[in-house]
Amino acid sequence: MKKLIAGAAMALMGLAGAAMAEDYPERPIMMMVSYGAGGATDFQARIVTMTAGNEDALGMPIAIINKPGAGGRVGWNWFATQADADGYTLAAYNVPHFIAQSIKGGVQYSAESFEPIANWGADPAVFVVAADSPFNSMADVVAHAKENPGKLTFSGAGLFVGHHIAALQIEKAAGVKMAYIPTKGGGAAAMKAVIAGEVMGGINNLSDAFRAQEAGNVKILGVADLQRSDFLPDVPTMQEQGLDVDNSSVNFRGVMVPKDTPQEVIEKLAATVPQMFANDRVAKKMEAGGSPMHIMTRDEVKEMWAAREQTLKELLAGL
Amino acid sequence: MNRSQHILGSGLVFAVGIWVTWVSYTQQPSEAFLFPRLIASVFLVLAGWTFGKAVMGLSKVGSGVSRTMFLNMVPGLAVMLVYVFWAAKALGFYTATAIGFFILLSLYDPAPHSEGKTWIRRALITAVFVAVMYGLFAKLLSVYTPREILF
Amino acid sequence: MEFIYYFGDVFSPLSFLLLLCGTIGGLILGATPGLSPTMAVALLIPFTFHLEAVQGLILLGAAYTSTVAGGAVSAILLKIPGAPANIATTLDGHKMAKQGQGAKALQLSFLASAAGGIFGVLLLIFLTPLLAEWALAFGPSHLFWLAILGVTVIGSLDSASVVKGLLSGCMGLWLATIGFDDIMGAQRFIFHPSLGGGINIIAALIGLFAIPQVLTMFAKGRRTTGAEVIEVQKHSVLDATRELFRRPRALGIGTITGSIIGLIPGVGGQIAGLVAYDQTKKFSSEKEKFGKGHSEGVIAAEAANNAMVGPSLVPLLTLSIPGSPTAAVLLGGLLIHGIFPGSDLFDNHPDVAWTFINSMLVGQVLMCLFGLYVAGLAARVAQVPQSVMAAIVLALSVFGAYSVQSSMGDVYVMACLGIGMYFLERFGFSAAPLVLGLILGPIAEANFIQGGMIADATVGKASYFLTGGLNIILIAVVVASIAYSAWMELRSRRYTTKEEAQA
Repeated sequence: MKKLIAGAAMALMGLAGAAMAEDYPERPIMMMVSYGAGGATDFQARIVTMTAGNEDALGMPIAIINKPGAGGRVGWNWFATQADADGYTLAAYNVPHFIAQSIKGGVQYSAESFEPIANWGADPAVFVVAADSPFNSMADVVAHAKENPGKLTFSGAGLFVGHHIAALQIEKAAGVKMAYIPTKGGGAAAMKAVIAGEVMGGINNLSDAFRAQEAGNVKILGVADLQRSDFLPDVPTMQEQGLDVDNSSVNFRGVMVPKDTPQEVIEKLAATVPQMFANDRVAKKMEAGGSPMHIMTRDEVKEMWAAREQTLKELLAGL
Repeated sequence: MNRSQHILGSGLVFAVGIWVTWVSYTQQPSEAFLFPRLIASVFLVLAGWTFGKAVMGLSKVGSGVSRTMFLNMVPGLAVMLVYVFWAAKALGFYTATAIGFFILLSLYDPAPHSEGKTWIRRALITAVFVAVMYGLFAKLLSVYTPREILF
Repeated sequence: MEFIYYFGDVFSPLSFLLLLCGTIGGLILGATPGLSPTMAVALLIPFTFHLEAVQGLILLGAAYTSTVAGGAVSAILLKIPGAPANIATTLDGHKMAKQGQGAKALQLSFLASAAGGIFGVLLLIFLTPLLAEWALAFGPSHLFWLAILGVTVIGSLDSASVVKGLLSGCMGLWLATIGFDDIMGAQRFIFHPSLGGGINIIAALIGLFAIPQVLTMFAKGRRTTGAEVIEVQKHSVLDATRELFRRPRALGIGTITGSIIGLIPGVGGQIAGLVAYDQTKKFSSEKEKFGKGHSEGVIAAEAANNAMVGPSLVPLLTLSIPGSPTAAVLLGGLLIHGIFPGSDLFDNHPDVAWTFINSMLVGQVLMCLFGLYVAGLAARVAQVPQSVMAAIVLALSVFGAYSVQSSMGDVYVMACLGIGMYFLERFGFSAAPLVLGLILGPIAEANFIQGGMIADATVGKASYFLTGGLNIILIAVVVASIAYSAWMELRSRRYTTKEEAQA
């Protein structure tokens, strides 16, 4: 008898779960972005979710909320500990940022706290210098750093974010010591420091650097990725310039949910969201904004997270 | 009366100052606490000065809280605490606001409680206000507030 | 003179309609306690998806201008600043309102806003390349000294006792350190999970100003007489205009300080009003009237916070660097239409750039007209009974604090700070220096640490922070400001003792 009741209960719960997935979503969805309004992540998140309300996508709009602070830690901490795992609270992830922060410690999340849904973009880190800088290639930068160990200042968006990872990799590959200056206020503040000449160079997002180069304010010396970017076909990668820097610092942006979200909801999202990203209108707006797209499914993202965690553990072990 | 209130008030501030100073000098990493230490030290000195003045009865500024004021305030403050710290999340923003608004209005509205007209007027004001809030936040600005009961 | 050519576009029916909507909507949103300009603009972004680039920007630009000015309404009538920019307006504005001069204060604030705002936009039109260089001249060391300059204002700001003013400032500086340290990522003073994100400045602002007002209204109890919040006497616009021109010093200092400070990326908007207020007070021949309902205070503060709007867009439009959160949101509005600020904007999309800038110019005038109309209605707002007003302000505070980042934690922080502030105010502490500390703390700290790191790698801290023309000028201003305050304090002390002796 007990078994029967238990069985019935299980069946009911299964039914309820299925019914929930069927109806999902029945109200607007929130997506948390752990950077400020107007930043690259926020801007792209708003574009890729703008068609969520269409019938062929989720049928319900996605509202963006910002919880900026401490390089993303504030938002992800909130997401891991306080967000409801009901499928109505999504978040944007930035890899390698949150993985690097969880390895470094002092936060309440790790890669296991979240379930990836899909990836929409990949924004490589680039090395920029002011337009009037004497440096014209990474070789010039490395040569200067060798002569003046620890004196070459370069800015980035914070500690244990993609920019910092790229900085560490460059230093390691070239075997030099430079002075990485993390700025408060994200990539925009780091870029301002470069343009104003407060620092001699900087790591920044490809999308922002591309814009600054178009405006004639900076020179881009190298891309920290495996291939050249479509936006910058003339800028060589770090590897082409003899620096062994892979794509570990590439800023992958995508959508995730908290760990205990119902499996049916995750599956539904994993099936619809990549299609939503592939929408023509989204692609056009992203292209216009200078933001490189890179759509990946849930399984591909899982693999990418695992691979990143591995390389980052090795890279950060010495710190 | 006034002097003891001043001692209590500045004493509390002084206690916070001591706590802040203690935390900033004991926590690690010390680079991250450089600024808090600086601030805490100045905080402690100023709070100590104020506390000392209060103890000696030299505090001139600020008139404290009189008994009538306090008694007047207590019911409103109680409704506010329940509304902010419990009802808003547990009942949903709009339901909690409707209830809280109506109670506050009834507590502080000078119109006589015995007349039916007063109650209708209060209910009407509450309804209009909640409708405006719903229109502004939910419809126009599409802010998604917690909703448990009703909207 | 290229901009004149594009004036026609502003007056095309759809554009003008959007400009009107943005202005009126902005005024209402700005006047609502708890909605800041950044939030109003961010909340409008989805609307611009459906519009063309120019039209979207007109809507955003108009909303930006008028929310800043609209914040003065609640600052004056309710002593609740709509945004950090309006804090200085509460100091004299609310005192004026209490004396029955609410309408006059509002008229002055809108006229001063328009005068300052138009000057700021004209600077943007004519001096953009020059201003861009100036904006870049401020590095970490200069921003650090600028923040310190702000700190020197704390002691003398709206506080009867200098020690308590400084102590309030210290509390603000301490509150600002709560949360994750931005550069190192260390956790500081997080004794409750709601504080994980630090104290949000807008939520704190709502709590520190609005909640004490609510409690003050509660404390008056269930009363029939004097149930209105304040009495408002009628005041003619002409008289207000004359008054404005009788105070050229306040208007001039406000406008110029606002334009200069507004230009500096990352600092500007929030402290322009307070610094201008303080400077005007120091140069005024009637300084003892400040803080007691003096029109110069309102004029200086409002002229400054609208003068800052134009210059604050310079780094964005020329260098593609958003200098303020609101500018960052505007950047998003441009990028979404594939327009890159910078030379691309002025060379390839001059219609967008100039129509946007022109619309801000026209927007200032419209804002002023509607604002003056609103000032006429102030008497009605003020006739709302205390009981209703207390409940309205409380509910708006909760909604406003929540909607900043959809977080209950912010609502709890807002309420705790507010209740604490009410009792502190009863003992002679005040909210304005506390908020100033809250704003300046992170600026001073981040720039000191960042500057220190650059200095350690290059020339050393001493020469980095203490040499160079701009550093020396700023340090001189800081020293002068402290010396002046100390001298005034001593003088007033001698004065009061004499008075006491006579009494």
